[in-house]
Amino acid sequence: MIPFRLLALAGLLISPALADNWTDHFSFEALPNPPGIDPQVGALEVLPDGRLAAAFHRGEVMIYDPASKSWSLFASGLQEPLGMLVQQDGSLLVMQRAELTRLVDADKDGKAERYETFFDGFGMTGNYHEFAYGPARDKDGSLFIVLGAASSGAPIRPEIRGEFSKIGRADFDQMKDGKNWKENSKLAGRMYSRVPYRGWVIKLSADGRTAEPWASGFRSPNGIGFDTHGRLLVTDNQGDWRPTSPLYEIKKDGFYGHPASLVWRKDWDGRDPLMMPVEELDRMQTPAAGYMPQGELANSPTQPLIIPDGAFPKEFDRQTLIGEMNQPWLVRVLDDEVSGQFQTALVPFLDGSPLGIGNNRLAFGKDGSLYVGKTALSWAGSFGITRVKWNGTPFFSIGGVKATPSGFTVTLSEPVDPSTTGGIITKRHTYKYHANYGSPKVDETKLPAKATLSGDGATLTIDLGGPLKEKYLHLLDLTALRSVSGNGLLGSKAWYQVNKAP
Amino acid sequence: MKPYLSAAVLATASLCHAQAPPDGASLYTLNCAACHMLDQSLVGPSLVEIRKLYLEKPDDFVKWAVAPGKKRPGAVEMPSMVHVGEPGLRAIHAHMISIAEGVKEKKVAKGDPFAQSPTQAARPQVQRIFLPDAGPAAIAIALDDQISLCWDAGECRLRYAWTGGFLEGYAYWKGNGSSLAKIKGTVRYTEPTPLFDGAPKFHGYDMDGGLPVFRYKAGERNITERFTPSTGGFTRHLKLSPASTSPLTLEFPVEKSVEITSDAGTWDKNRLTLSPAEATSFTLSFRFQ
Repeated sequence: MIPFRLLALAGLLISPALADNWTDHFSFEALPNPPGIDPQVGALEVLPDGRLAAAFHRGEVMIYDPASKSWSLFASGLQEPLGMLVQQDGSLLVMQRAELTRLVDADKDGKAERYETFFDGFGMTGNYHEFAYGPARDKDGSLFIVLGAASSGAPIRPEIRGEFSKIGRADFDQMKDGKNWKENSKLAGRMYSRVPYRGWVIKLSADGRTAEPWASGFRSPNGIGFDTHGRLLVTDNQGDWRPTSPLYEIKKDGFYGHPASLVWRKDWDGRDPLMMPVEELDRMQTPAAGYMPQGELANSPTQPLIIPDGAFPKEFDRQTLIGEMNQPWLVRVLDDEVSGQFQTALVPFLDGSPLGIGNNRLAFGKDGSLYVGKTALSWAGSFGITRVKWNGTPFFSIGGVKATPSGFTVTLSEPVDPSTTGGIITKRHTYKYHANYGSPKVDETKLPAKATLSGDGATLTIDLGGPLKEKYLHLLDLTALRSVSGNGLLGSKAWYQVNKAP
Repeated sequence: MKPYLSAAVLATASLCHAQAPPDGASLYTLNCAACHMLDQSLVGPSLVEIRKLYLEKPDDFVKWAVAPGKKRPGAVEMPSMVHVGEPGLRAIHAHMISIAEGVKEKKVAKGDPFAQSPTQAARPQVQRIFLPDAGPAAIAIALDDQISLCWDAGECRLRYAWTGGFLEGYAYWKGNGSSLAKIKGTVRYTEPTPLFDGAPKFHGYDMDGGLPVFRYKAGERNITERFTPSTGGFTRHLKLSPASTSPLTLEFPVEKSVEITSDAGTWDKNRLTLSPAEATSFTLSFRFQ
């Protein structure tokens, strides 16, 4: 320990200048926007040849060639594309409002001539909030999409697609009555699902011909993807029945908290989910694998994506990154598993960097560049694509967080200056599950933390003096930590949602 | 976030953390700045406007921020800021009032900045968008700079044709999809019912010369439908397979303003009957009177 302390002292004496920034390790470059095009990005995908495909707000799918720094038009006229996946045959699957579309350039002239309806077996009321997201592909080739619920910010349209559910306090005429919507909207539910599978994850066969409603309970799930262990992850937005923005691991037949979609369960008993006791809904729901506290970590999380090996320092390899609309950073997922249950610590990534807000879609280039596509759609956000590239230099970061019977162990990328462990702040709080929009922190408590370091100084054991509390979000604020070389952590706070305490 | 401070400074800072009053400036950056700019209306009103509304009214400010409602037509409803807590909201209020003092509101430019984009200005053009008097899976087609169509991919049928321009879509584009696109010009022809019986199933379209060739099923019948502009109207090319065993009768609306002719079959007033062979491939011409 003494050598560390000496080093740290030396560091303190000479080192405010050593303080580390993201910009010491990452470059941030705005790609040129395609000339004249509304540059709000709904989907991003890197093609096998390394070019970047982007789908824009007004329905263009364009290809960017990093070598010539130029754009070409591949397809146009789609409605609010919000997801894209390249197929083995080179065609592109694009999720737009009304359907999952397969774009085929059979004559290889660089433009799609076939716009094939790959899957459209879901309802639409014409309500603006019925966005459609995905697809994500599992290792067997099956595809998963997820459908947003409608918002009481607007009625339904007079003409809808699909069966109208009679369940709900407002009938069809009231739901489409824009003139009296101020009154009728109170009956609708803050977010509603009156046509099939709004608020559901749907599993599709690889050819799109068969579909299976997979999991319910989603509100505004602007993020779907697999992690490196094959877990299907979905993010959702804080709001009604969402105390703060969650990260879910999706399993077949699961219910993920937002009740409106329950009416489309095969065996549904016809009850109005909004009239059910909250305790019953609470018992039915699968808890979130992670929570992003509103205003602190994320307000509107987006796409989860695996960090490829070598793109970032090695402790990031195969971890999951999540985009975020409202805060000028991304969210990094640190996996843990307790008694077979997946739960996570979530850490800001690129906080305090020039990244900016509106981080809707992510894709990694062949060279490890991270492309961040931005949008706003009249909410908080931005536009264009930022290319983020790591310059290969290591920095002080959290590698992982694991729950223990009396606290956490945190692995770090560099040995810690032991004189700084006293500044660790630990807190926990829980949330209220209710129909209201968001939840205040409930029962927020500061916890005494006793921190000890491993022999190599790179593993920190935090003892909270008692067992972890289930259903609580635990904050580990490691901002005070310094590495032996005097650097602060880049990404220094971790929020660990404890569903199962070891 | 914050620049990294030396360990010594930070240790002091964190010791004081529990007692320190909430920092309105950083709370504003985290919770409000994405939607509320200093001197310009963005997603929500500017701080200049908020200052006018809430000067010396911190209680009203907190009340609104905890349980916001809908005030402005066409604007996005603000989410609750209950997670910030009352002391934090009061600090944000103080910060907003102070930095907006003496600042003047900037005007936001009106009009669609992308109306002349290479795709929006292209003719012909295909654009999926929410349209009036159609289902939510409608497709707008500009056959040329005069004649446009609304084709409904939910019901697999032509809904109407109009002349005089294409779409005024900015109300839709500038938002999140809550507004319908407006038709530019005059609707000249409306088809109130599907031409073909049987459950519709949309298969998509192929682009041919910038125009779509729709592929769909009506019952057991496979249909391709293509539109081209023609003098004073448009032509509709239909192919049906497999060939049916009996003649096919199509019924059109009685509209004096449109003359409908065909290259095959026999007309009885507004009904066209095609033999099984004729029905495999035929064209209909629509001329506005």
